[in-house]
Amino acid sequence: MSQLDLEIITPERVLVKEQVELLEAKSELGEFGILPGHIQFLTTVDIGEVRYVKDGKTYYIAAGGGFAEVVNDKILMLLESAEMADEIDIERAEVAKESAEAALKELSPDSPEYKIQETALNKAITRLSVASKKR
Amino acid sequence: MATLRDIKRKINSINSTQSITRTMKMVSATKLRRAQDAYEKIKDYAKKMENLVGRIITKLPKDTHPLLTEREEIKNVLIVAIASDRGLCGGFNSNIGLAVENFIAQNKDKYENIHVYVFGRKVRDYLARRKINIIKERLDVKLVGMDFSEEVASELIKFYIDGEYDKIYLIYTHFESAVKYVVRLEEFLPIMPSEEEYEGDYLYEPSREKIVNAIIPKFLSTKIYYAIVDSQTSEHAARMSAMENATKNCTEMVNTLTLIYNKRRQEGITKEMLDIVGGAEALKGT
Repeated sequence: MSQLDLEIITPERVLVKEQVELLEAKSELGEFGILPGHIQFLTTVDIGEVRYVKDGKTYYIAAGGGFAEVVNDKILMLLESAEMADEIDIERAEVAKESAEAALKELSPDSPEYKIQETALNKAITRLSVASKKR
Repeated sequence: MATLRDIKRKINSINSTQSITRTMKMVSATKLRRAQDAYEKIKDYAKKMENLVGRIITKLPKDTHPLLTEREEIKNVLIVAIASDRGLCGGFNSNIGLAVENFIAQNKDKYENIHVYVFGRKVRDYLARRKINIIKERLDVKLVGMDFSEEVASELIKFYIDGEYDKIYLIYTHFESAVKYVVRLEEFLPIMPSEEEYEGDYLYEPSREKIVNAIIPKFLSTKIYYAIVDSQTSEHAARMSAMENATKNCTEMVNTLTLIYNKRRQEGITKEMLDIVGGAEALKGT
């Protein structure tokens, strides 16, 4: 079976550089999946869960926003942040979630700070849900 | 002529200079390691980002984005020069200063105005002394984060979009290894399509326009971040080797001076002996 070359790179490190069978992630328009033979594709990646399947096993990643490019069965993902499920610090994510929620209650939806806190909350929720899928 | 005591004093002073340079070398070595870590982390991301943006913009029809369009008439040029606040690092700062000066000397006739946006106190002073027009300076730039480079990038984008400048260059020091660093001059804005041809167009999601608008600022701020980290890594490497040389020179000087000191001392002893012997001989006669 043909495979995909997957590279997930953040400003911190190269997180994944592997041959995988399937990749799924979230874009602005909803979830998308990539299988071998996909058309040339360029998309933004939203904060959310990224999954890939390697040797029949599914791996979960909590991703910050970024971009993904698919050319000739090569996937390049450039993400602002990304963590494997088993690396996530659940306590820290809980704290981040609570502080973002508290801050959101105080702020009016029009202030620029609101957006920042909303993003932080989204990231924290993603990390918590991904962490719960740890093998 | 220097007396024995003068030489001794000189040797002591060189010894204490040497202990300072030796310590500075060790401090730089630690800082270099830390900077190199940061550099290695961002390297892959920055390179892949550059390639990706290169691929995307070669596929764009001409003049779709203001930051990608080369202006026909280039009047005002901005140079972003990145160096450091501190000296004692060999030619690190003056190389950047020289590069800026050379660039201005070579292109003076082509453009109406050439201004400089400067990072680091030393180059600022260097350029100010030569009456070069500095429009903005950033001092005390230490450990930078992405938000800092985003701020700088959006500032530069604004300069370009508002038409204050028609071309923006970046000058910084690129780190190749602990003993090799080179000054680099790059075009920052407008973004030039890469020479390579890439086949086929993409399927864009949500839309090409949205992706281009999102990725370009990200690319530019990554580029600034990468250049700053690159420059800082080079700075520590340059300081380390400058201090190593200074330490070596101190050892050499102490050796030479010690030799002179011993010779001079021996001469003194011989002279005194002769005096005593001569005196004794003279007494014998009476």
